Amino acid sequence: MVFKPVPPLPTAEPSLGDAFITTTRDAFVNWGRRNSLWPFPFGTACCAIEFMGVVSSVFDLSRFGSELVRFSPRQADLLIVAGTVTYKQAPILRRIYEQMPDPKWVISAGACATSGGFYDCYCTVPGIDEIIPVDIYIAGCPPRPEAFIEAIVQLQGKIGKESQKESKRVGA
Amino acid sequence: MSATPSIPAAASSMPALSGMPTTVPPPAPGAPLAKDALLALVQERFPGAVRDAADAWDLTIIVSADQLRDAVLFLRDDRRLQMAMLLDIAGIDYLAYPGHRRARFAVVYLFKSLVHGHRVKLKVEVDEEAPELPSIHDLYKIADWSERETWDQIGVVFRGHPNLKRLLNHHEFIGHPLRKDYPCQKRQKLSVNDPMLDQLELRLRQLGYSVLSEGQITSMPTRGLPGAIDGAGDRGQLDPDLRQGSNAGADQRGVL
Repeated sequence: MVFKPVPPLPTAEPSLGDAFITTTRDAFVNWGRRNSLWPFPFGTACCAIEFMGVVSSVFDLSRFGSELVRFSPRQADLLIVAGTVTYKQAPILRRIYEQMPDPKWVISAGACATSGGFYDCYCTVPGIDEIIPVDIYIAGCPPRPEAFIEAIVQLQGKIGKESQKESKRVGA
Repeated sequence: MSATPSIPAAASSMPALSGMPTTVPPPAPGAPLAKDALLALVQERFPGAVRDAADAWDLTIIVSADQLRDAVLFLRDDRRLQMAMLLDIAGIDYLAYPGHRRARFAVVYLFKSLVHGHRVKLKVEVDEEAPELPSIHDLYKIADWSERETWDQIGVVFRGHPNLKRLLNHHEFIGHPLRKDYPCQKRQKLSVNDPMLDQLELRLRQLGYSVLSEGQITSMPTRGLPGAIDGAGDRGQLDPDLRQGSNAGADQRGVL
């Protein structure tokens, strides 16, 4: 547990000893959120195959607390879009995002989800940020599992800087 | 027909396909006919048919739109041909094709004989002003989706098709993207996805469920689950009113 060091308030009861630790609410809430991300995999192409490797034993995403893959958006707070998204699919992706409870974050994994990839045509969404807000983009076609893990770690850093005072976006 | 007992039983409970042969001729395997022999067979029956000179490697026979259905039936049912398999239907737009002076569109039907092993392509030229062809969905089941795809991408209307709606593009799409005058990077957003409930309800009805309210996923089994023992015998004997769905024109003959 890494908490931001906060000097104890002078009014804290010294007689309670180590039974209490004091910190800020943001540090505490963010610690919980960033270390227990529950990802929902929106996998449509080969990037999703790489993600299977990420959560499996060799790369073992559970070392970073994000291995509990949920297949219901209502139980997830991290949407990992791994693969090509067409305009025919776009309303489905949007609906899945809206079904996720706040707070929620989005990782766009790979070239197709990020920019449409080499599908520069009439039917492919040129980047899912046309449809939903994105927190972290991963490069690669498909990205290496290490890149997925780096994205999770970067997202953890981003969540650690969030403040509960700011209203979390709703439906973007 | 000395097949396993279950196959004739299931086949007898299916509604008869219009135009389908009731008896399957015994296979007469032989060497695939040469292209010249195939062409001669078709030309003997359809004198107007010519070989497409652009297809030097394979055999493409150009027929007129009026002859199309007869030609397809001939390919399918003639004992020497027996083209039981429709591999694909493809549309062509010759808008920017160098040196092309004939009709703008063409539709190509790819056939294969499972018995003899030979292949034939039928090509029909389609006028730009009235891009229409007769549907062959009742001759080959796969033509249902293939024709929908060809209409979706190229814009050739198949007369008589029971459910000519888009197959690949979304239902709010305007235009036909594989036409050469469609800007290939012009994107069209979809606001609400098509749940394809008409297809789902049709399938549920065929499985013995009744759909309580049209357009809603509200269904109740009226008899056992689809895998139940009595399923195979009952499929063809549903109440007639259960068979009339919201999509009345859709393919009701589908076997699951």
